[in-house]
Amino acid sequence: MDNTLIQLENVWKTYEVGAEPVHALRDITFHALRNEYVAIVGPSGSGKSTLMNLIGCLDTPTRGRYLLNGRLVSEMSDNELAHARNREIGFVFQTFNLLSRLTAQRNVELPLVYGGMPAKERIACAAEALEAVGLGDRRRHRPNEMSGGQRQRVAIARALVTRPSILLADEPTGNLDTTTGKEILRLFDELHAAGNTIILVTHNPVVARHARRTISLLDGKVESDVVNGH
Amino acid sequence: MKWSDGINIAFFSLLENPLRTFLTLLGIAMGVTAVIFVVSVIEGLNLYVADTVSDLSPQVVVLDKFGVIKGQANWLKAQRRNKDLTPADAEAIRRQATLVDKVGVSREHGGGVRRGSERVTDVDIRAVSAEALEMMPLEVAAGRVFTPFEAEHAAHVCFLGYDIVDKLFSHQDPIGRNVTIWGRGFRVVGVAQKRGSVFGQSRDNFAMIPFSTFLKIHGAHGSVHITIRARDPQRMADTVDEVRGIMRARHHLRYNLEDDFGIISAKGLMEFWQSLTQMIFRVAVFVVSISLVVGGIVIMNIMLLAVVERTREIGIRKAVGARQRDVLFQFLAEAVMLCALGGAGGVALAWLCTWGVRSATPLPARFPLWAPILAVAVTSAVGIFFGLHPARKAAQLEPIDALRTEEI
Repeated sequence: MDNTLIQLENVWKTYEVGAEPVHALRDITFHALRNEYVAIVGPSGSGKSTLMNLIGCLDTPTRGRYLLNGRLVSEMSDNELAHARNREIGFVFQTFNLLSRLTAQRNVELPLVYGGMPAKERIACAAEALEAVGLGDRRRHRPNEMSGGQRQRVAIARALVTRPSILLADEPTGNLDTTTGKEILRLFDELHAAGNTIILVTHNPVVARHARRTISLLDGKVESDVVNGH
Repeated sequence: MKWSDGINIAFFSLLENPLRTFLTLLGIAMGVTAVIFVVSVIEGLNLYVADTVSDLSPQVVVLDKFGVIKGQANWLKAQRRNKDLTPADAEAIRRQATLVDKVGVSREHGGGVRRGSERVTDVDIRAVSAEALEMMPLEVAAGRVFTPFEAEHAAHVCFLGYDIVDKLFSHQDPIGRNVTIWGRGFRVVGVAQKRGSVFGQSRDNFAMIPFSTFLKIHGAHGSVHITIRARDPQRMADTVDEVRGIMRARHHLRYNLEDDFGIISAKGLMEFWQSLTQMIFRVAVFVVSISLVVGGIVIMNIMLLAVVERTREIGIRKAVGARQRDVLFQFLAEAVMLCALGGAGGVALAWLCTWGVRSATPLPARFPLWAPILAVAVTSAVGIFFGLHPARKAAQLEPIDALRTEEI
C-alpha cells in the first residue's frame, strides 16, 4: 500500500454536548491514494469540516484508526503532529487564516520558519511559491491590501511552500465570487496535473465536479464514493 | 524554529502595540530607577565620607568630649554627663600610655579674620599644638607651618587656608604679612594647598594658630580634642583600650558606667557610616523587590490577555507546524523582552537622574557600573518567572479550538 497516503478505518468523532453525545462522524472508512483529486460533499452538519480537520491532524478521532503515510496518527507525539502539519499537510481554509500584520512574503515563510529553514533560503522559497500562484509582484503587501482571491492564493502558496504530500482545502472558494472562484479552481487543476494530491471540501456540486472522485457525507456517514466522469 | 526567529517574532509582536508595551514596562522601569538612584547617592556619599575620614590616618585616633553620637537620646545624655577634656588629660596620657607614640591637643573656635578693611567671617579657627600639627595631613602650598619654638611660646603666627588667602590677599604674597584675629595681630607664615569643597562645604575656610597662643588669649575653658598616634598600628585596639583606661581612671568612672568621653577613629567612623547606609540600602532593596513583584504580576496579566486576544493567531501558527515549544518560546521571549526593556529603561532613567542630581545639587551621586548588568539580569529573571504561566497556556491551546475562535 505504498501509494496510500490517507487511510481512515472505522473512525468516529463524538462531542459531549450536554447530556447527549453528538456523533459528528460515524464509522468512516476510506482511503486516498497519491495524486488523487477528491471532493468531499454534503449538506451542512454532515461532518465534512470535521473530517477535514481530522485528516489535517488538527483534531483527533474519538475512535478508530487514521494512518497518514502509513503512520498511526493517534500514536504520534505532539511534536510529530506539528511536524506532519508542517511537512506533510498543507491546509487551505475558507477564511484564509493569514496573519494580518505580516506581509504575503512573511505569511508564506511561516511554515518554513517552523521547519527551521535559514532565512536566505526561506525568502527564496517563499518568493518562488508566490510566483507559482501568480503573486510575485505582491509579496510585500499585507492581506488587507489584497482582494479575496489574492488572499486565497497567498494561503495556497503558504500551504504548498513546504511541498507537502497532501493539500487539504476546506471550502476554498466559499468566500469568493464566482469568477475568482473559477480562477482558484483552475489553479487547483494545475496543481493536480503537477502531481499534487488534493482533498477538497465543498457544499457546492459545481466545485465538486472539478475533482476526479466525489465522496458524499450525510449525518456523519459515507453515502457514496464515486469517480467523476471527465 | 531557530532562536533568532523566535526572538524576531516576539520583538515584532511587542512593536505591534507600542503604547501597551510602554505602559506595561513602566512599573518595572520605575522600580529599577529607584534602587539604582538610591545606590548612586549612597556611593557618592561614601566617597565624601571616605575623603573626609581620610584626614584621620589609620594610625591616629581622636579623643573628644562627645565622639560619634548615635541618636538623639545619646546626645542629650552626653550633653549632661560628659566632661570637658583638658590639656592635663593629654599630659597624663603622654606620661602613662606605653602604646602611644605622640599626643597632641587642638581646639576649634569660630571667628573672623581681618586685614585692613577686608574681613572674612565664619572662619574655622583651629588652635593646634606642635604635636597635633605633626599628625595632621597638611599640604603646604607656600611658606611653612609653625616651628616648635613658635608653638611652645605662644607666638602670634598663623597658617591660613586657601579661601582666606584668596579673599584677603588677592594679588599679594601673604607670607610675612599680618592679619587680625580676635583683635590681635598674627603674622602669616604659611598657606595650605587648596582642597576644594565636598558636599557643598568648602574645606579651605580655616586659619591655624598655635594652641599655646589660644590659651594665652582665651584661657583654659572649654574642651579640647586630643589626637593620639599609636606606636604600632597593628595594635590599635589595645592602644585605644589603654587610653580609655587612663581616661576612665582620671574621671573616676566605675567599671559598670559608660565612657563619659568619645574616641573617634577612622575605622569607627567608617563602620558607623556603613551601618547607616546599609540600613538605607536594605530598605531600598526591599521596596524595589515589592515593585518588581507587582511589575511581574502586571506583565503576567498583560500576557494572559495577549494570549486570549491572539488565540486565533496561535491556532494558525500551530496549523502550519508550530510545536508547543515554539509557541512557548515566542510568548516567553515577549515577556522577558518586556521586562528587560523595562530594566534597561530604568537604568537609563537612573543614569539621567544621577547626572541631574550631581550637576544641580551638592550631592555627589555616583552611578554604579554593575547596575545595568544586574538590572537586566534580575528583570529578565522576573520576565521568565511571570511569563511562564501565560506562555504555557498559549502553548497548550488545541489548534482546532484556537482556529474556531472569533477575532476579538
